[in-house]
Amino acid sequence: METEQGSVDLVEGDVVRSFARAALLAALMGATAFIAIPISGVPGTLQMLVVFLAGLYLGPGWGAFAIILYLLAGGLGAPVFSGFSAGPGVLLGPHGGFLLTFPVGALLVGSIVHRGRELRDPAAVALPIVILGLVAATIVVYLAGFTWYAWVTETSLPEAFTIVALPLIPGDLLKMAAAIAIVRSGVIDTV
Amino acid sequence: MLTYEPDDTFAHRLDPRSKLAVQIGFAVTALAHTTPRALVVFTAFTILGLAAAGVPLWRALYGYRFALPILAAAPVISMLTIGTPWLVPADGVDPALASYRVLLILLFSAAYVRSTPARDSRAAIQRTVPGKPGQLLGMGVGLVFRFVPLLLADLRRIRQAMTARLGSERSVLDRVNRIGVLGLSRAFTRADRLSVALQARCFSWNPTLPALSFSKLDWAVCAFGAVLGLTAVL
Repeated sequence: METEQGSVDLVEGDVVRSFARAALLAALMGATAFIAIPISGVPGTLQMLVVFLAGLYLGPGWGAFAIILYLLAGGLGAPVFSGFSAGPGVLLGPHGGFLLTFPVGALLVGSIVHRGRELRDPAAVALPIVILGLVAATIVVYLAGFTWYAWVTETSLPEAFTIVALPLIPGDLLKMAAAIAIVRSGVIDTV
Repeated sequence: MLTYEPDDTFAHRLDPRSKLAVQIGFAVTALAHTTPRALVVFTAFTILGLAAAGVPLWRALYGYRFALPILAAAPVISMLTIGTPWLVPADGVDPALASYRVLLILLFSAAYVRSTPARDSRAAIQRTVPGKPGQLLGMGVGLVFRFVPLLLADLRRIRQAMTARLGSERSVLDRVNRIGVLGLSRAFTRADRLSVALQARCFSWNPTLPALSFSKLDWAVCAFGAVLGLTAVL
C-alpha cells in the first residue's frame, strides 16, 4: 500500500473565517432560491439581496468569491438556481447574463462601499455611497442580463429588456431598500 | 427536482472533467448555430446524452420548466408589432430557433446533474484549478452543497415564526428586511462556528483529495468534447 509523507500547510486563521462566511453566504443565496416572496404580484426570490449583502458585509474580494461559489455549486449540480434547477446549462440559459454578472455586482458594491482591502462598518458609511454601490451593481447586472438574453434568443434589446428586466425592477428596488434597512440596523458585523 | 442519483449508466462511469468538456463543447457549438438542420442534430444529441445518463426527456423538461415561459416569450414578443397587422409571424422564426437551442443546452445539462455526485465535482475543481484558489473553490463548493438544506431550514423557521406572529400582515419591505437580517446573522453565526471547527481539524492548503480516475474512455470523451466545441467555427 502506498503512503505519502508531507507536512500540513495550514490555512491562516483570518482566511478561514472569511472563507467560512463566504461559503455560508453562498449557501444562503442557494437557500433563498426556495423562498418565494410575492413582490408586485410576481413571486420573486431574494438572490439580488444576497448579492448586495455579499458586497456590503464581505467586501469586494470575498463578496465576489461567495457569489462565484454559488454559481459553481449550482453549475455542478446543487439545486440552487430559480425553480430548484441546477447544471452548467443554467449559466448559459436565458438568465445567464444576470447570473454571470452577480459576482461583478458584489465586487462593485464592495469596492464602492469599502474602497480598499480594509473592511469598514457599512452602517458607518455615508448613505449616498451605499446607494451608489447598490445602484451601480444593479445597472451592471441588468445591462448584462438583458443583453445576454437578446444575444442568445436573437431578440432586439428593447424586446429583451421588456421580457427579462422590466418585470424584475419593482422587486429589485424593494431589495435595495431592504439592503439599506439591514445596513442601517447595524446588527450584523463585518468579517 | 433534478439532482444526483446513484446508478450505473454510461455517464455515471465517466470522470466529471470529461463530462464537463462535452457540456462546454455542446454549449459552444449550440450557441454558434441556429439553422434547422443543426437543431435537428442537437436534438438527437441531447436525447442521446440524456439517455446515456438515464434521464427521461420529460423529467429534464420538468426540471427546467421555470425557464420555459421566458424562452417562449422571445418569439411571442418578437412577433408583436405596434399597429396593423399587430402580429408578424415571420419575425418570430429566428427567436424561436434561437430559444430552442438554449432549451437544448439546458436539457443536456440534466445529464451532468444526474450522473455526478457533489464529491466528484469538488475533486474535479481541486484537481483542475491550480493552487490555493482551486483548494478554496473546491472546499467552498462542498460546503455549499452541505449547508443549503441547513440554511433553508433556518429560513423556513424564520418565516414560520413570522407567520405565527402575524408577520404576514406586515409590508413586503418589512418581511424582506426581517428575513435578510435574521437569515444573514444566523448564516454568519454558523460560519463563525464552522471556521473554529475547520481550524480545530487542521484545515490545510494541501488536503488529501477524493480519488478520481481518468480512464482511456474519459480521454476519448474529452477529445469528443473538444471536437464538438471546434464545430462552432464550421
